[in-house]
Amino acid sequence: MRKFVLLCCTFLLGLTAIAQNRTITGKVVDRDNNKIANASIQIKGTNTGTSANADGQFTLTIPATAKILVVSAVGYADREITLTNNNNYTVQIDPAVSNLEEVVVIGYGTARKADVTGSIASVKAPDIENRPFSSVDRVLQGKVAGLQSVSPNGLPGGNQQILIRGVSSITASTQPLWVIDGVPVNSGDVSRLAITNGTNLLSTLNPNDIEDITVLKDAASQSIYGSRAANGVILVTTKKGRSGKMRFRFDSEVGQSDIAYVNDRYRPLNAQEYLDLTREGLTNLGATTAQINSTLTSLGLGNGIDFDWYNSTARKGTQQQYNLSAEGGNEKTSFFVSAGRFIQDGTTINSRMTRNSGNIRINSKPTDRISFGVNLNGGVVSGRSPLNGGSFGNPVLSSYFQLPTRSAYNADGTFNISNLGGLHNTVFLSEVDKRFNRQVSLRGSLTGEYKILDNLRFKTAYGVDYNTFEEDQYNNPLHGDGLASNGRAFGYYTRYFNWVWTNTLDYKQKITKNGDLSANVQLGYESQKSDGYFISVQSQDFPPTTALIYPSAGARPTTASATITEYTFLSQFASTSVNYKNKYVASGSFRRDGSSRFGANNRYGNFWSVGATWNVDKEKFMEKIDFISQLKLRSSYGVNGNAGIGNYDALPLYGFGFNYNQQPGSAPTNVGDPNLTWELNKPFNVGIDIGLLKNKITITADYYIRKSENLLLDVPLSRTSGFGTATRNIGAMENRGIEFAISAAVMQKRNFKWDVDFNFANNKNIVTSLPGGADILSGAFVIRQGASINSFFQRIYAGVDPTNGNPLWYTDGTRKTTTNVYPPAAARALVGQSLPKYFGSLTNSLTFKNFVVTAQFYYNFGNQVYNTWGSYQLGAGFGATFNKVARILDRWQKPGDQTDIPRYVYNGNNNFQLASTAWMNNGDFIRLRDIQVGYNVDKKLLEKFGFTSANFYIRGTNLWTWVKDKDLPFDPEQGTTSSTNLNVFIPKTITVGLNIAF
Amino acid sequence: MKRSSKHISLAVILGVSLFLFSCKKEFLSVVPPTSLTPEQALSTEADLQVALRGAYQGLRTGVTSYTADMYGRSIPILGDLLADNTYQSTQNTNRYTLHNNFTFNVTDGNSMGIWSGCYSVILRTNNIINSAIASNANVDQYKGEAHAIRALAYFTLIRFFSRPYTDAPTGQGVPIITTYDPSAKPGRSSIAEVYTLINDDLNKAYSLLTKFTNSSQFNKYAAKALHAKVYLTMGDLANARTAALDVINNGGFSPLTTANHAGYWANSAITTSKLETIFEVSSDAVGNLSFDALSYLYSQAGNYGDMLCADDLYALYEAGDVRRALYPTGTRGGLPSVFINKYPVITGDVSDTKVLRLSEMYLIAAEASLPANETDARTYVNFVTSRRGASPITSTGSQLLEDIIRERRKELAFEGDRYFDLMRLKRTVQRSTNYPATARSITYDNYRRILPIPQIETDANPTIKGQQNPGY
Repeated sequence: MRKFVLLCCTFLLGLTAIAQNRTITGKVVDRDNNKIANASIQIKGTNTGTSANADGQFTLTIPATAKILVVSAVGYADREITLTNNNNYTVQIDPAVSNLEEVVVIGYGTARKADVTGSIASVKAPDIENRPFSSVDRVLQGKVAGLQSVSPNGLPGGNQQILIRGVSSITASTQPLWVIDGVPVNSGDVSRLAITNGTNLLSTLNPNDIEDITVLKDAASQSIYGSRAANGVILVTTKKGRSGKMRFRFDSEVGQSDIAYVNDRYRPLNAQEYLDLTREGLTNLGATTAQINSTLTSLGLGNGIDFDWYNSTARKGTQQQYNLSAEGGNEKTSFFVSAGRFIQDGTTINSRMTRNSGNIRINSKPTDRISFGVNLNGGVVSGRSPLNGGSFGNPVLSSYFQLPTRSAYNADGTFNISNLGGLHNTVFLSEVDKRFNRQVSLRGSLTGEYKILDNLRFKTAYGVDYNTFEEDQYNNPLHGDGLASNGRAFGYYTRYFNWVWTNTLDYKQKITKNGDLSANVQLGYESQKSDGYFISVQSQDFPPTTALIYPSAGARPTTASATITEYTFLSQFASTSVNYKNKYVASGSFRRDGSSRFGANNRYGNFWSVGATWNVDKEKFMEKIDFISQLKLRSSYGVNGNAGIGNYDALPLYGFGFNYNQQPGSAPTNVGDPNLTWELNKPFNVGIDIGLLKNKITITADYYIRKSENLLLDVPLSRTSGFGTATRNIGAMENRGIEFAISAAVMQKRNFKWDVDFNFANNKNIVTSLPGGADILSGAFVIRQGASINSFFQRIYAGVDPTNGNPLWYTDGTRKTTTNVYPPAAARALVGQSLPKYFGSLTNSLTFKNFVVTAQFYYNFGNQVYNTWGSYQLGAGFGATFNKVARILDRWQKPGDQTDIPRYVYNGNNNFQLASTAWMNNGDFIRLRDIQVGYNVDKKLLEKFGFTSANFYIRGTNLWTWVKDKDLPFDPEQGTTSSTNLNVFIPKTITVGLNIAF
Repeated sequence: MKRSSKHISLAVILGVSLFLFSCKKEFLSVVPPTSLTPEQALSTEADLQVALRGAYQGLRTGVTSYTADMYGRSIPILGDLLADNTYQSTQNTNRYTLHNNFTFNVTDGNSMGIWSGCYSVILRTNNIINSAIASNANVDQYKGEAHAIRALAYFTLIRFFSRPYTDAPTGQGVPIITTYDPSAKPGRSSIAEVYTLINDDLNKAYSLLTKFTNSSQFNKYAAKALHAKVYLTMGDLANARTAALDVINNGGFSPLTTANHAGYWANSAITTSKLETIFEVSSDAVGNLSFDALSYLYSQAGNYGDMLCADDLYALYEAGDVRRALYPTGTRGGLPSVFINKYPVITGDVSDTKVLRLSEMYLIAAEASLPANETDARTYVNFVTSRRGASPITSTGSQLLEDIIRERRKELAFEGDRYFDLMRLKRTVQRSTNYPATARSITYDNYRRILPIPQIETDANPTIKGQQNPGY
């Protein structure tokens, strides 16, 4: 190769002598003044050109006729430079916005964007780095059209729910497959301690170590992942080192967080308000004066206490992170190493996460034919998480339920642990009880590549993903959840080890001699095994102290168990793409998957896709249409699957542990089905990519129909069978939607740049077939043929009867007649859905001289939020011994009062507290997800100190939230079921940061 | 050319080995580590014994998310709360509020838990009863116990979800399930059909059972004792009396006395002494419901203690009655209160739930001797009163029946019996002023005197959808 270049140069030099040429020199750099190696420099309209060396320097002899230089590099947009008399040029090139030559990440490799027939979207490092989010899935919100990323809670390191193009399954997993550096990994919540805000295996991955996240959204891109592709695939590529001079980078930020959304109408009452309300409730109940006084006294009348539980359990959180990386290498070997530290305190006491992470990657290419790489990425996370939901130990619950007349402290300053009305003193418990977790994750891979022929490559990759998760819980013997067992402690150890071995052959062939028609073929074989190992220990009867917190201090072991769980996959796959003159591309993929999860009768499945692209801009007739720089039409269809069920769901089972008198007992635990197999997903996609005005404006639009069949469905059984549900392949549903994304460089002046990005997604889900056409009721929801999944099915609250203050419900969905009798008179009706009808984001970036301002708004419309605990907060006297919220001050008090809060009757008014639309609110919101003001320090100044770049920023996250419904009690983001559960509040955060490179 | 052919052959070798690698079927067959298939799990005599313990465990602990809704708490609690014995303190954790107020509905989780829990136990017992393992003394014993457990499960269901047999045997009972079919959508059998199954089961249990294991497992006379209670509930007094006397005369159980009364209730361990307890559902030091247990809801030593003793019941105990000592007085929620100390052990080996006691057999014999034999009735009821330090009952005629019913209330209080007595006798629940004013007089015809068929069942089972209890 080198010889060839030399030859070319000699030849060019020869030319120099003939025409009256001149020699120019220059260098190629990126936005941050980093040198770009190996860029191609060519004179426009000729074959004359050269390549820049490793330092980005180039020398080129050009004829007098040459007017324009085209500078191009992989991953960067082409830049045209008009030649002047100057003989020295510094060419700055920017990362490619959209370019046919751009290489994109796809399943099992990379491809030129021109060859891609599928719908994929990628997010690059600058949009991922330095966000105050504890895991990468939280970063993705608003970044990709059609990808919905929602938090069910604000716990640092808590779980996150991601839906790509809607929900395609009722029972099986709806979460995408995460593939990190080629390894399909275990992700999600693996915590086993009861009732928690959840944990997240991905929280061990430092987002700052990520170079690229690519989201595969349609059949052409997904189906190569076969039986696990149905919910979309997210490919994460971690950073690789660039050769050349050693480069260092240091990032640091610190900040503070507070509750993002607070509704004053849901402020817990103070002591006087609560006692006045309760007196009214007792009077309305018909209690005698003596009874009223004795009850009020027992509830704290006259004790002079007015304690604010809300502000004692909520707090301002803090946020810090520090990242350091280094990269470099020579022509043959490059490396990247990094280390990071991330600390976040949540907005509720007892919530915290700390992560220490490291990443190392070495790539080497000792000969032209052989290359190999090794990569190890590790994270150590430790966290504290409070209980959630209806647990009395949940600080959020106590902030709303605990009476203001009961203090967390006694008069002498000690903790009050006796007079709490049966609830717990969570302020005390957060000091004394422990709920800790520690995660260690290691993800590593070894890859080797051998170029058998110039157009035939063999690649083998062995990847592992090793996670350990340790959970400790201690409940003291003096007060709270440990009292019933004289103190108790749990120790849970969870380990997942997952290995994947992938072997592929890649073959490229020109079919016609001139290369107009060419083909790529890939064959692959993959085996994977994941096994989990669990140890659980619990002991009770602790010494009467709060200092001994581990199970070994307990006198009575009550749990001592260890077990395993396993799944395996065995797959063969093939894919091909055929390209004609870059104008027409056809692609196809096939994968045969075997999985241990399915019944013996249906263990293997076949998955495939076909796709086609027409690069219209390459046609002759487009050459004259200057303002269109890119026009690409693409379409795909295929079949893939969802294997996201329990590892042993296909088997009829008898379980053990149903012990009696501490002797072994057994009982049926699973119905099973030997025919159980994949859920099928059949996505059709048609899309268009348009680039206008030299790609200053790029537009991507997609329309899709995803049909899911043979749904893995937990069919409710008659409880008389002894079971609640059984998993069956039954039912079908459909998601249709539009995605639209536009990026525009509105202004590109020397000192002022303005970029706008907007994306929009609309998804309509319909359940098209259910067993026997029958409704399936599930909590607040119904799954009904012809309706959207996650449709709320509730009795419709009709407000308060102004004459007597009693609650009214509509008798049915027509909302014509009302009744004051809860069921059977009030029938349930479809009353909205938990998933938004449309969502997306708008991002504006302004660069003025050295200042950069970025603002991202995220919007979400068309869903409802269900307040699971509203019946306690507002229930017209239900749960009378628990505190209420300020909205109840609007209650009906006298005939004629127009309000939606019924008369307050101690212990409840006509079942108002039962499930109805009274506890539902419109979930529409717009949120300033991200705002950042940055300052890039002047390069010349930096060079004096040896830095290559430095910038400072101040960033706000979730700083502003608009909600449509002024009665929305909690944050509008409540997970995909859009139901509140007294979780740690989602924070808004302000951070200041510094990034320097040298 | 030579070089490339070498590469091609290398590629072929690599490719072939790649596709041959580990194409083993076993790789895809993983075995569940903690479970067995039903065939494996029920293949030997010893397996039946293990499965039988699972059935007993189901009597204590209900199904997932409703674990507290079997004998471990809800069944005994509702048996007193839906009557006039126990009430919810104003200082409470909101458990059973709707039952205290008599405002529960089809969404009631406790009804759901009892329904699902009983049918879960029925499945466990059906699998034992239907086992093809050859008969021998042990297998007969296990099957006999399974018959008795199944009878208890159906007896529990029929009394909570159906009007009493004494009202109309043709009324709607509960679905009868004796074989496993997960796809069945059964409708309700008649009350009489359910009682026929219960009687059959108890007759079979009586003939199959030969061994006494301990107080927490069925034996021959425990099955007979349950049968006495079933007959009494059906209004079949002659059979009730015969069955009760069979237990009294042949069961070998020894009675409680004033001397050992306190110690008896303080003990939370299962016994083999045959003192008083005929059958109880065991909670042990590991297998218990912790703060969801019955004892935790009654005892004031823990954090809950929601349920208190009604004032009118407490007033029935005379000063010298040893039972009075089980109910200490104090203050809760600012109000003078009577506490319930029948289940005092809240940690470790948690108090068991008594289901059948010898004293009840005397009370059944007494009631079933009426109206024909008042002398016997007084003898049997005073067998109990004389061993509690209470005055003997000397009344005659209808007053004697009232006195026996009242003695049942006093003796069996907080054991989940009172509600069923008031049902079979078709009486109004007349509650003290401890209860909410709106829920002090619940007439027999009030539709909430029986529980609703849970909405989750009517949603999943179209056959039963139209068979909901009237009113719900």
